[in-house]
Amino acid sequence: MKIAMLAAAAFMAAIPALAHHSFAAEFDGKKSIKLEGTITKVEWTNPHIWMYLDVKDDSGNVVKWQCEGGAPNTLTRAGWSKDSLKPGDQVALDGWLAKDGSKTCNTRSVKMPDGRNVFAGSSNNDDK
Amino acid sequence: MDSRYRCSLFSFAVWLAVLELPAFPQSDVFKPPVGPVPRMADGKPDLGGVWDHPFVGDMTKSGRDQVGAGELPFTAWGLAEWKNYNAEDGDATGACLPHGLVRSINAPFPVQLVQNDKYVSFDFETDNWFQVVPIDGRPHRKQIATWAGDSVGHWEGDTLVIDTVNFNGKTKVDSIGHPHSSQLHVTQRWTRKDLGHMALEITIDDPKTYTKPWKNTRTFTLRPDWEIMEFSCEENNKSLWEGRIKAPKN
Repeated sequence: MKIAMLAAAAFMAAIPALAHHSFAAEFDGKKSIKLEGTITKVEWTNPHIWMYLDVKDDSGNVVKWQCEGGAPNTLTRAGWSKDSLKPGDQVALDGWLAKDGSKTCNTRSVKMPDGRNVFAGSSNNDDK
Repeated sequence: MDSRYRCSLFSFAVWLAVLELPAFPQSDVFKPPVGPVPRMADGKPDLGGVWDHPFVGDMTKSGRDQVGAGELPFTAWGLAEWKNYNAEDGDATGACLPHGLVRSINAPFPVQLVQNDKYVSFDFETDNWFQVVPIDGRPHRKQIATWAGDSVGHWEGDTLVIDTVNFNGKTKVDSIGHPHSSQLHVTQRWTRKDLGHMALEITIDDPKTYTKPWKNTRTFTLRPDWEIMEFSCEENNKSLWEGRIKAPKN
């Protein structure tokens, strides 16, 4: 498992970051996060897609998160579609936390329901 | 970790870096078309097409298909601007304000060039900004300063040279926030190397901000399989609406 995770990290590192805005304006590149949960909604919109998911915390309570992905244009060219994720899908995300402390993240990769780990269009330009 | 795994992981990373794999598995790895420089009826190179290019978030750094400027020659004013910049205080592109000329070129989205004997238009996918550049020898217009400045072009052999002045000074030259003033003077040198590739050299000359001009060069790749797509920054700019991004005050 450790190898698979590191290999996935190498996969991500091979793809350039994608930014509509300055990553540092909103997110903290020193605060990475991994989330596992259930997709409740996807907004396939510019300038970024947004994925909403329910995540259970250590006490079993459901916490609602929202995570930004890349622009639909770029993600489309990379093989995504607006139907790649649907409500009810079980996913694992990794990315970085928003600086304001809200349950908001910038997404580097998504482990899809079929197990593939795919790049999600992070705007972190230092993630190379 | 077992050294065998470290070795295989390194090999895998190198392999992936070479292949530049897409997010989802796709059947073919793109190869740009091969052939000579296409030309207009007047013999000038035809720069037209949809072009992919590197995202240049920091013009000092080198990366795939681009060579950065290295350490910048700041003036005292420029250095103070750079040291005092904090994207959290306001980011023009995050607020869906104009990117300005250089950040439009730097953005991680393709651009389509369309050309005739009088104009070259740059149709940037990023926020669907555009710029129409006269190339028929006319001088700069006399008008109020603008986000993208005023551009005129001319041919030097097979290189299209675009000269841009009269900026309002409200943008940055890149995403990381390298500064410029209203004294910015940008020179772009576009040279189509062959059917599938084009070289761009950007020179930043701004005596208020930098003690001498500096350059960034990059290579564009023709994507005949792509079209410019709609990009509405205002459609769902949650980050601004929910207060995580601020609009700049200037």
